[in-house]
Amino acid sequence: MDFFAEFPEMGRQDLRDFKKGIDASFREFSRTYGEAIETFFEPLLWFLVWLEKLLTNAPWPIVIIVICALAWLGSRSWKLVAGTAAAFLVIGYLGMWEDTMATLAIISVATMLCIVLGIPLGILMARSNRVQSAITPVLDIMQTIPSFVYLIPVVMLLGIGKVPGLIAVCIYAIPPIVRLTNLGIRLVDKEVLEAADAFGADYRQRLFGVQIPLALPNIFAGVNQTIMMSLAMVVIASMIGVKGLGLPVLRAISNQYLALGLLNGLAIVTLAIIFDRVSQEYGRRLQAHRQGADHG
Amino acid sequence: MKKFLTAAAITGAAVFTMAGQASADGHACGSMTMAEMNWASAELMANVDKIILEEGYGCEVELVSGATMTTFASMNEKGQPDVAGELWINAVREPLFKAMDEGRLMSAVEGPITQLGEGWWVPPHTAEKHPEIVNDVNALLSRPDLFPHPEDPSKGAFIGCPAGWGCQLANANLFRAFDMEAKGWLLVDPGSAAGLDGSMAKAAERGENWLGYYWSPTAMIGKYSMVPVSMGDWGGAENWDGCIVKAEQDCANPKPSSWTHSEVHTVVTTDFQKRGGPAVEYLSKRIFPGPIMNAMLVYMADEQAGGGDAAIEFLLQHEDLWTAWVSADAAAKIKAAL
Repeated sequence: MDFFAEFPEMGRQDLRDFKKGIDASFREFSRTYGEAIETFFEPLLWFLVWLEKLLTNAPWPIVIIVICALAWLGSRSWKLVAGTAAAFLVIGYLGMWEDTMATLAIISVATMLCIVLGIPLGILMARSNRVQSAITPVLDIMQTIPSFVYLIPVVMLLGIGKVPGLIAVCIYAIPPIVRLTNLGIRLVDKEVLEAADAFGADYRQRLFGVQIPLALPNIFAGVNQTIMMSLAMVVIASMIGVKGLGLPVLRAISNQYLALGLLNGLAIVTLAIIFDRVSQEYGRRLQAHRQGADHG
Repeated sequence: MKKFLTAAAITGAAVFTMAGQASADGHACGSMTMAEMNWASAELMANVDKIILEEGYGCEVELVSGATMTTFASMNEKGQPDVAGELWINAVREPLFKAMDEGRLMSAVEGPITQLGEGWWVPPHTAEKHPEIVNDVNALLSRPDLFPHPEDPSKGAFIGCPAGWGCQLANANLFRAFDMEAKGWLLVDPGSAAGLDGSMAKAAERGENWLGYYWSPTAMIGKYSMVPVSMGDWGGAENWDGCIVKAEQDCANPKPSSWTHSEVHTVVTTDFQKRGGPAVEYLSKRIFPGPIMNAMLVYMADEQAGGGDAAIEFLLQHEDLWTAWVSADAAAKIKAAL
C-alpha cells in the first residue's frame, strides 16, 4: 500500500548527490573551458561595443536620419518615416536616448545573428524530416524554458554583460525564424517544384530560385517575430548587466516608480512597433513585386 | 490498507487536538502574514519563524515573498504583511522612522542576526597578491588596471548594486564621492542578484580579480572567503543619510565615507504588535549569531536546500539556541512536531 500512498522517489541523499554532481561537473567545465569560450566570443563583444559606441557617439540628427532612411528603404511609406522620426525625437526629448541606442545596438546584432543562424537551420529542417524531428524539440525547449535557468550557466561561463545577454536573447528569439523558414519552404507548391525539376534545375537553383522566393512571406513573418521576441527579452537581458532600456524598467519595478517604468516600457514598445511595421511593409512589398512580375 | 487507515486516523486526531489547543489558548495569535524576503538568510529566518509559531504557538502563518522595497512599501501603506523578519533599514531609514513615529510600524528586535555588514569586497587571491589595496582605499582606487572591464579593458570595473536595490543609490553616490570615474573606473550594474552572484562566483572560481559590493552574512561571502576592503573613514551621518542614500539629484556633493553601520530590524505592524501576544515576544528574543547563520547559509548553498528544509535542519542542529527563544511549553510542542 505504501507504494501508492507515497511516490517512489529517488532518495534524498542520492538526489542531493545527483544535483551536486551536475553542479560540480559544470564548475569543472567552466574552469577548464571558460576562458577559451570567452575568447571565442570576443569578436562579437567588440562588434557590440563598437556598434553601441557608434550609435551613442554619433550626433543624434545623423542617427535619426539614418534610421529614417532605413525605414524609407524598407517601407517606402512617408507616414511610417514621419512616425519613426517623431517617435525618436520624443524618446530623445524624454531623456532615454542613450538607453534606446544601447537597446537598439543589442537588438540589431541579436536579430542579425538569429537570421544568419536561423535561416540555414530552417532550410536544413525543410530538407530532411529526420533533422526536423530532431530540432523541433530543441526549439520547444528554447521557447519555454524559464530564462533564468539558462542564464545561470551562461553567467558562470561568460560573466555578466553584453555577450551573455546577447546569447540569452538569441536563445529565446531564434525559434520563430527557424520554424517559419522550415514551414515556408515545406508549403511551397509541389507542382511548382515538379516544374522546376522538369526544367532540369539542380538543388541550388531549386532552393534559391524557387523555394526561398516563394517562402519569403513566411520567412519575413519569422524575421518579424524574431525581432519582437528579442525586444521582449530586453528586460531579462538587463538582469545580467546589459545596459539599455531594461535597466530603468528593473529599477522601476523594485522601487515602484510608475512613470519611469511606463516611459521606458513604452520606449521598448515604440521600437517594437517601428521594427514591426517596417519589416512587415518590406515583406509585403517583396510579395507585390513578385506578383507584378508574374503578371508581366 | 490497515496501516494506511491507522495513519489517517492519527493524523485526523492530531489535527483535532491541534485545533483544540489553538482555540483553547486565549493568546493564540491567529492567522498572520510574514514576509519571506528573497535572499537566503531571510528565507531561513521566515521558515524558522513559521515552524516555531505554527507548532509552538498555534498561529497560522502565511509567507509572502517580496523584496525590501516592495515589502516595506506594502507594510507602510497597507499594513500587510504583519512581519518583516530581516529588514535592512539603511535603504528605508527615513520612511521607516516616519512610520514608527506615526505609530504604524514597530521594531520587534534590533539585529536579529549579529555581525552583519555591507561593503566592498575582493576575492581572497586578490587580497593575497595585493595586500596593499585591502586596508587603503586610495591604493585600491589607484589600481583600476587590476580589475579590467570586459567591454573596455582600459577601465576598471566596479560591480555595484543591482538596479532597484536600496544600495544601488549608495554605491552610485560613493562612486561619485570617491571620484572613481576620473580615476579610471566604470560602475557596472549587474542587473539582478543572479548577475551579482554570478559575476562574483565566476571571478572567485577562476582566480580573476573582482571588486564589488556585497554583504555578510551570506553563503557567497562564507563560501568564497571574500575579503572586505577598507573604504576609509566614516564621513558622518549627515553625509550618509542626507546625501549618499538619496537619489543622485538630491545628493549634489557626496563625500567619501565608509559604509554605514548596518542596522537590521525585525519590523512588525503596530496592529500585529497588539494582537500577536506570545508571537511578538518570541520575535523579540530570536537572535541568530552571525557564524551560525553563515554556516546555515553555506549548508543551504551546498545542499541546495530551500528555506523550509534549512529551517528544519537548523531546528534539529541548534536546539540549545532556539529553545532559549521560546517558552518551555512551546519548545516541547516544537520538538514533538520535529
